[in-house]
Amino acid sequence: MNIAANPTDAIAQLYASHHAWLHAWLRRKLGCSHGAADLAQDVFVRILASRDALCGMREPRAYLTTTAQRLMVDRIRREVIERTYLAELAIVMENAPTHPSPEQILLTLEALGQIADLLAGVSAKAREAFLLHYLEERSHAEIAAQLQVSTRMVHKYLVQCLVQCAAARPD
Amino acid sequence: MQAGADSVAAQAAEWIVRLSADDAGEQAELAQHFAAWRAADPRHEAAAGRMEAMLGELQAVRRSGAARPAGRALRAALGGKGRSGARRGVALALLLAGLSFLPAWFGLAGQEPGYWLTDLRSAAGEWSTTRLADGSTIALAGLSAVNLAFDGKTRRVELVQGEILVDVAHDATRPFIVATEHGSVRALGTRFTVRREAGATVVTMLASRVEVRPAEAAAGSAGALVVQAGESVRFNADRLLPPESVDPPSVDRAWAQRQFVAQEMPLPDVLDELDRQRPGRIVFDRAALAGLKVTAVLPLTDTDRALQLLVNNFPELSIRSYSPYLVTVDMAKSPKTTGR
Repeated sequence: MNIAANPTDAIAQLYASHHAWLHAWLRRKLGCSHGAADLAQDVFVRILASRDALCGMREPRAYLTTTAQRLMVDRIRREVIERTYLAELAIVMENAPTHPSPEQILLTLEALGQIADLLAGVSAKAREAFLLHYLEERSHAEIAAQLQVSTRMVHKYLVQCLVQCAAARPD
Repeated sequence: MQAGADSVAAQAAEWIVRLSADDAGEQAELAQHFAAWRAADPRHEAAAGRMEAMLGELQAVRRSGAARPAGRALRAALGGKGRSGARRGVALALLLAGLSFLPAWFGLAGQEPGYWLTDLRSAAGEWSTTRLADGSTIALAGLSAVNLAFDGKTRRVELVQGEILVDVAHDATRPFIVATEHGSVRALGTRFTVRREAGATVVTMLASRVEVRPAEAAAGSAGALVVQAGESVRFNADRLLPPESVDPPSVDRAWAQRQFVAQEMPLPDVLDELDRQRPGRIVFDRAALAGLKVTAVLPLTDTDRALQLLVNNFPELSIRSYSPYLVTVDMAKSPKTTGR
């Protein structure tokens, strides 16, 4: 592909030559034309947001399908978070005096989605250590006992998770 | 450059984790060193700030009392305590199957075994039966929860929410008590259901009899009522309504088939029940729908079909689905509601 001088032109070119094909591919995967159109759009938005990726793009199809698959996983993850969180919140709030507002719930879901993205990059034990410490306020020693590792390891797990945070938002 | 950024992040993370370590002895001194490190370079400050912002979001979740829902949501999305290989297997299967299969596997998202030791509970649309230490069995309808407290004198079950069917093993020396905020149901050996609604508790007797006592009733026999097999009683903290008759075999059947039997029940109560069995929400105006009375047998494992059955029976209803997680029910725009 000939890389245009202006990244926006490059995107336009990429879009023109690959959008129809990507949409068809997604429709086969998802069995839903609407969802496919939506997701295809997101793929290009994501590429637009990370311009440097465009310059090194040798295999546009492979790149587009990889990006699309990653987006699908993200969506599934966010959907599971939303469903589980709302269902569990309904249980907790059943007898609570105050309920979070819809805005608060949306903000929390957004935050949980971002946190899930970074925790997806570490091992299951590191993730568990992170949730136990920062969400459930367990001490390093308690976590070490529960996960059957040393406290040094717990320390390492927590550092790993926090480092992901820097990697995930390189702005 | 990239390597530099990585090591800055690693250092920032190291500081933050050290500051939350168990040995609080040198915390004050550590905090000072950390502050100095942050001040030394704007990149240090940026990396630490980003991590603290993320942790701040988690802290806000914790403070709002939603730590448990948040933890469960993250574990469900990331595959709980399972190996990440298993998670990848699920993600891959989902990709192959397409997003439409999501509801089917959602129910499989793991429960922690430790949780079941103190708290019996079922997820939406999921029924479970447990045999207790005394030989009694307790069946939980979807999205129900109980706490158990058995000792030498009593067998006490606190119904926190939802509905249970208990089959009490006979033990003359230890009464079996099901308690809610509205009162208690006391049995020696029998079979009955207890259902907790927003403003009241309903007991339905399938065999033998129990004594029901509202929470604020006077002591002695005056404040209590003995409910016989084939009777159903609704009560709240200070009041018992007269028993209504029910057909025990059909209640048993409904439980076995996970159905919901409504007899002349206000529509909002029926919608509450369906709402409890869905992962999303059903939104409706309670006052506007209170006049509609429903007599129906509804499938609780397929709440979409249950909603459809309701519309079929009440053409004046309008049901709109915005996503699998948000359904609204209201009166259709035509104001032809005479006679209600």
